[in-house]
Amino acid sequence: MPHLDAVYRTAYALSGRSDTADDLTQAALLKALEHFSSFQVNTNCKAWLLRILRNIWIDRLRRLKTAGPQLPLDEALVGEAPEIAESVWSDAHDLLENFSDEQVIKALAQLAVEQRLTLYLVDVEGLGHEEVAEITGVAVGTVKSRTSRARATLKKCLAARANEMGWAGERR
Amino acid sequence: MIHLTDIEFEDIMAGAAAEFENLHLLQCALCRGRLAEKQAIASRLQKAFAEVHVSAALAERIALQTRAPAVQQPQAAPPRRRRFAAHWRSWAAAASAAAALIIAVPLLVYFTTPAPALAALADIHHHNMSETGDFVSETDPAILAAHFREHLGFNPRLPEPNHGLALRGCCVRRFQGDIAGSYVVATPQGVMTVVVVRQTPQAMGITDRVQRNGQVYWKSAFALSNMVSVRIGEYSYCAVGEVSHNYLTDLLARLLD
Repeated sequence: MPHLDAVYRTAYALSGRSDTADDLTQAALLKALEHFSSFQVNTNCKAWLLRILRNIWIDRLRRLKTAGPQLPLDEALVGEAPEIAESVWSDAHDLLENFSDEQVIKALAQLAVEQRLTLYLVDVEGLGHEEVAEITGVAVGTVKSRTSRARATLKKCLAARANEMGWAGERR
Repeated sequence: MIHLTDIEFEDIMAGAAAEFENLHLLQCALCRGRLAEKQAIASRLQKAFAEVHVSAALAERIALQTRAPAVQQPQAAPPRRRRFAAHWRSWAAAASAAAALIIAVPLLVYFTTPAPALAALADIHHHNMSETGDFVSETDPAILAAHFREHLGFNPRLPEPNHGLALRGCCVRRFQGDIAGSYVVATPQGVMTVVVVRQTPQAMGITDRVQRNGQVYWKSAFALSNMVSVRIGEYSYCAVGEVSHNYLTDLLARLLD
């Protein structure tokens, strides 16, 4: 089945749980099959599937009222990262290797839903800004700024964890 | 010195760096450091998700759910021991009820469950749309014909690729204990599959008879897919797709020309 892994990975990035990712993947693919007639031939099938997945997840969050108060989903932070002085890691690659995969995924899960999804689609799935804009329903410029903010927030989360563990890299 | 903005960094990360951005990076150690950090984060994220895959159980579950449903056979009720002398009247009532069930259940199944052949045709269409597995993604009619000759034993009729109509590929698969060839045709109205089988349309449950220009076609539908079939020689050509019956008939009419 094409793009099944990508849909599942995205569901996992959104939910941070394998059982929820299973459920989301199944729901998204069944919905895609149900609405297959709406798929435009010669368009991006992966983006179409991920947009369905994203909409299902957003609907669920709204229904469960876990998206927080009436803040726009794209800007609301689920977990605010501790303030760490703005700096540049001199040994970013080595420092990041100290984290387990699970810790990195957990840190990503602390980002706001739309930031998390945008950063994931750009950095992990390697989608272009235009494709991500299509999936998330925002302008390309918003995708770029959101990706940048998301990366900065993720860095803060990881930096806080690195400080706790005494791994913090040398700062410039 | 004016440093690169966040948006400019995003363009660089996406491989769309402007000349001035590259020049700036050559001169500015701070921006180079910031870029290296962003690249390291992206790289670490990719690595974190590299081993996240859908489980075989979930893939199987989804495949089963997205596949067309099979006909459910009515289950016979388990026999119950009863004392004949004491309960002959209830026996008679039970026998009547059983007789009614024997007649009613198959009728109910017949009228509420799509014929398995229709489900199998829709399944071939969905399989072809995914362009995976044994699907041959080729647009050249000569290559498709060679594939059919080798795997199906004959060359089914193919439409002329013109007027916005293009061949997408073909597949040879099992179909109801037999073998069937199918090919995908992309048109401005949508993408459809033509499945070539030995069974007659009526035997497959495609029973709605329509006539156009003296030619008899048979039409039906399963889930989201419409189907039209026409008999050409010893084979039925079944056009399947999420387009109107009329359009499917137009496509088959081209095969008859």
